[in-house]
Amino acid sequence: MIQVENLRKIYRLGSVDVPALRGVNLSVKEGEFVSIVGPSGCGKSTLLYVIGGLTAPTSGRVLLDGVDLGDLKEGQRTELRKQKIGFIFQRFNLLPTLTAFGNIALASDIAGTLNGTTRSEMNSVIQMLGLQDRLKHRPGELSGGEQQRVAIARAVVNRPKILLADEPTGNLDTENSEVVLNMLKELNHKFRQTILMITHNPEVATYSDRIVNMRDGHVLDH
Amino acid sequence: MVNRMVFANLVTRPVRTLVAVMAIAVEVVLILMVVGLTSGLLEEVAKRTQGVGADIMVQPQTTSLFMGFTGAPMPIQIQDRLAQVPQVEAVAPVMLQMSTASGVSLIYGIDTESFDQVTGGFRYLEGRGLEQPDEVLVDDIFAHSQGLHAGDDLELLNHPLRLAGIVEHGKGARIFMKIDALQDMMGSVGKASVFFVKLSDPDHTGNVLAQFREILPNYQLRDMREYLSLMTSSNIPGLGNFINVMIGLAISIGLLVIFISIYSTVVERTREIGILKSMGASKKYIVNLVLRETTLLTILGIGTGIGLSYLVRSLIVHTFPTMTILLTGEWMLRASLIALATSLLGASYPALKATRQDAIQALAYE
Ligand SMILES: Nc1ncnc2c1ncn2[C@@H]1O[C@H](COP(=O)(O)OP(=O)(O)OP(=O)(O)O)[C@@H](O)[C@H]1O
Ligand SMILES: [Mg+2]
Repeated sequence: MIQVENLRKIYRLGSVDVPALRGVNLSVKEGEFVSIVGPSGCGKSTLLYVIGGLTAPTSGRVLLDGVDLGDLKEGQRTELRKQKIGFIFQRFNLLPTLTAFGNIALASDIAGTLNGTTRSEMNSVIQMLGLQDRLKHRPGELSGGEQQRVAIARAVVNRPKILLADEPTGNLDTENSEVVLNMLKELNHKFRQTILMITHNPEVATYSDRIVNMRDGHVLDH
Repeated sequence: MVNRMVFANLVTRPVRTLVAVMAIAVEVVLILMVVGLTSGLLEEVAKRTQGVGADIMVQPQTTSLFMGFTGAPMPIQIQDRLAQVPQVEAVAPVMLQMSTASGVSLIYGIDTESFDQVTGGFRYLEGRGLEQPDEVLVDDIFAHSQGLHAGDDLELLNHPLRLAGIVEHGKGARIFMKIDALQDMMGSVGKASVFFVKLSDPDHTGNVLAQFREILPNYQLRDMREYLSLMTSSNIPGLGNFINVMIGLAISIGLLVIFISIYSTVVERTREIGILKSMGASKKYIVNLVLRETTLLTILGIGTGIGLSYLVRSLIVHTFPTMTILLTGEWMLRASLIALATSLLGASYPALKATRQDAIQALAYE
């Protein structure tokens, strides 16, 4: 499902080159729940962004579902992201002016399916994440755990093949973390949702099927 | 969904929304007022000139349609030669003079007898007709705006004069005095600026015009039936340019304010745009979002602008009753389209910038 080959990414900060990825190899199968663990600054987020097509690698290849991202133009990468990828972030990244429902519906709107048959899909996702009583609230009126559940609902409402989660529990207390992690696990079990999750908490990583360790832009024990 | 986001964005920044709406409103008001004032003035002058009741107007070759500009370059004897043409019932020589007392107003120096023959005579609301050289008549609108009554003293063209009477408006000018008195005052004895010609049958206008052309090959001869349609800003030298400059100014205001407003919105919402991108929103989607917000702002601005134009007009007309401002549906539509085009142009760079923003930077934790 995800195939990463010798991926390098160098950020250019003025005249200084910051190497974030120094030759990463990784493969994730369909239906797998993989976590990436590593210290701060080792390139975890960068890897996720490159896989999600938000930024281009300096060299190396990313294949999603057999499609090489490097062969795509920016517009095509955006299209692929829309169809196949759902992002979840540490900071939730909900749109503050929209309600919980609005945030979820926005994903369908971007996918162009808002007026289609997605309504029942949306309802089942909302039910599953226990958000039915929170739909009219704006992000500012929701707890961190609730916000992250809305973000998950938004990420999966279009049934993406791949869910990319960047420290989804980083801003949550233990209780809420458990709720969120159990939901990811449920998604993985119920729908064979492929999930790639970043964390620097080894305990969090135990929810996944497989743990990948990263250091200084490399993947260890691969 | 996009509309809901757009609406929420406008509501969360009420001051910016207000400023942008007002800037567009000012743009619209400026366009409508400049056009409304000039076309109102032209139409008003045209109607008043037509109100003289003449069939033909004779002027020097170089005179502009807009009869404001003064001087009395034609010998008054022309009157007699025109009067000899068959079908001509009356010829009224008039001397035109601009006065800057209380705004700009036109004074007609008239020969009472011939002017009455052409016009059918004044309707007096107060006082009586002109008898003495230091007497003037004004129309009811001018009298009302100045609070004048028959018998009052007034000063025009630096001369102390007396108001003989107040007449109903609509016959050429708002102020009248005897032509010889005006000639004396302006030092152009024996000259006239225009001749108004009344025919016994207006159907013969073409025929009479042909004969006039033989007598007066070097004069401008105008069929009064065409006059109103000729009085447009494009036929008045300089006026069209003035209007264009003012519209250009209005457009610049709209362009700058919309640019700043949308630009700041885009910068402020860098993160939100990054989120949309991470969700797979295309460039088209983001541009659409920005331009819809712009369009909504502009529509609000246009509505406000049109409303304000009516308000400004009633204020101006209340303060200066002698002024006419024409607000036409055609120009409201034009001003609206101009404002919309301006806004979309002003928002296009910020919209483009929004699509180019680096999603990663926007999503970075700090
Ligand atoms: N936009 C950027 N421009 C320049 N350098 C960057 C940028 N983003 C990340 N970096 C650098 O690249 C390296 C990897 O960053 P990255 O965010 O991928 O690490 P991370 O493993 O996600 O860290 P954390 O656990 O703190 O989130 C770091 O040295 C970081 O300073
Ligand atoms: Mg990170």
